[in-house]
Amino acid sequence: MRYFCYGLLAALSLPSLSAKLAIVLNSGDETVSVIDTTTYKEARRFAIGKEPHHLMATPDDNFLIVANAASNDLVFLDRTTGEVKNRVKNISDPYQIAYSPDRKYFVSASLRLDRVDLYDPANFSVLKRIPLPKAPSHLAFSPDSKLVFVTLQDTHELAAIDLGSRTVAWKLSIGKQPAGILLTPDGKYLLIGILGENFVDVVDWRTRTRVKKIVTGKGAHNFVPFGDGRHAFLSNRAENTISKIDMQTLSVVDSYPAPGGPDCMDVSADRKQLWMTSRWARKVSVLDLESKKIVKQIPVGRSPHGIYLSQHAPRK
Amino acid sequence: MSQQAYIMPPSLAERFNQLHQYLFETIVQPVLFQVGWMNLDEVAYEGTHLLLIGAIEMIALYAVLKSLEKWCPVEIWPDRKATRVDVLYTFLGRFGVLPVLFFFLLTPIVDAGNAALRLRGFIPPNLEDILGSAAALLAYLIVLDFADYCRHRLQHKFGVWWALHALHHSQRQMTFWTDDREHLLDLVIAAVWRAAIGLAIGVPPASFVTLSIFSAAMESLAHANTRLSFGGIFERIFVSPRYHRMHHAMSAGQRGCNFATLFPVWDIAFGTANFSDEYLPTGIDDQLTGRDYGDGFFRQQWLALKRIGENAGQS
Repeated sequence: MRYFCYGLLAALSLPSLSAKLAIVLNSGDETVSVIDTTTYKEARRFAIGKEPHHLMATPDDNFLIVANAASNDLVFLDRTTGEVKNRVKNISDPYQIAYSPDRKYFVSASLRLDRVDLYDPANFSVLKRIPLPKAPSHLAFSPDSKLVFVTLQDTHELAAIDLGSRTVAWKLSIGKQPAGILLTPDGKYLLIGILGENFVDVVDWRTRTRVKKIVTGKGAHNFVPFGDGRHAFLSNRAENTISKIDMQTLSVVDSYPAPGGPDCMDVSADRKQLWMTSRWARKVSVLDLESKKIVKQIPVGRSPHGIYLSQHAPRK
Repeated sequence: MSQQAYIMPPSLAERFNQLHQYLFETIVQPVLFQVGWMNLDEVAYEGTHLLLIGAIEMIALYAVLKSLEKWCPVEIWPDRKATRVDVLYTFLGRFGVLPVLFFFLLTPIVDAGNAALRLRGFIPPNLEDILGSAAALLAYLIVLDFADYCRHRLQHKFGVWWALHALHHSQRQMTFWTDDREHLLDLVIAAVWRAAIGLAIGVPPASFVTLSIFSAAMESLAHANTRLSFGGIFERIFVSPRYHRMHHAMSAGQRGCNFATLFPVWDIAFGTANFSDEYLPTGIDDQLTGRDYGDGFFRQQWLALKRIGENAGQS
């Protein structure tokens, strides 16, 4: 009943279909903020569930999936309007979620309950729950979908899960409190933001070796690709900066201010703006990549975490 | 809406948020980074929020309740020396934020239990999904208040526990500061009790903080040295200063009455309510025959432990 009411209210205040939206998860408030990216105004805010942290588009790009970690459910939103379309219950503590590239698996990392769960994406039935040492955080896949990589935040490791045998294939010690993880476009390396330090660990996943540290800033946290197939942005949460990383040369090529504890990011379709959640400021900050200035800060809810732009740069 | 936004005008809420951010980014987060605890940054962010709320709550309570005590006091004392130690207890109780601290400390244990349940295919339901957020918050408040009532009954029932709790009752100049006047051991027991029950019934952290702040404010009011009754039906719905003063009455003693913290309904249900319209002197009757409960913090703590020893020796 409650969600019906929310849905009705949401429907009555929907932005037009052509609107460009930013959808922001206020993890501390159990709400979603929908921002009109042309006016930089919060169009509406609605309840979603407990501890929404991360979101992603479905492989067909029709819906956004919001993972409510403490509500144990997934909420499907219309990607272009933010309207709630569906709710899948009994998804245990979904913190970070991802589809395997071959779309055979829907994977959920349970940061709080120390597990990675594998689901059948057709009906979200559990295929396997895989216990891991401590605080599995972010996810990435090998290009052939045979391995899913997960950062273990409290044991300072990278784990690889074999999706064929559905078991932990190997673990590798890396920097303190690893968080975001990104596969380079050539598929050779994993870039891992080291939250407890000031660098990105570069791991050759085939040889299971750490090959380089890219010094970025304190609290290296999460990535988003720039969209040109070569660069990615990394948020440095404690340094309050964003680093632009060249994924071919494995080096920092630029740096930007990012006040208020930057976390998740998205790049506008024209690649002129970087939108980010500023966790400690309770705001979304908009960075103009040309002038390197924060051009807007939009108040949202408490502890904003995941962010998605309805019109974004390619995810490459 | 953020928790404090419910109770603050927008401009004030924004200033509060800025202060929260400033404290966290300039003091707390750098320390976390240096000691290698950045994985706790989100918890620490909430903790900073809590400390700030605690400070504001204390200032607000002081402003409101002090005025109330001046405006319509039950007792007027030649000096307030005896109340000073209660100020220290309040700082420990509010800034120590023990219930919330234990809530976070016990969370990993409850999470481990949750993880085990889920590996066996069971996901506990969310009260918010069944009742909605506001009703769930009220339900949590009612359950936690009943838990406090039960604990309070046990404090009076068992001699060993009463030996500790008597420290709270030994204040003969009861004011709003008296609420947190407890033995440290008793404070810890109360914190663990409340946190464990909160976690067991699935109270979300933000709701637990909100409920703790609300309960603490109401409990401070209940201890105020003010001639205030809510009257009629409201006196039976919420614990008033008059109602709780009867609990602290010297004549009530260990046997006691009016154990409820927020809602007298528990006393009514279990036959322990006393709605007499009286404002009696507070304390413990053996203080009149010379029993010493201590004036200073350390002596009060020590004497409580001695009483436990005596009590254990007798039983």
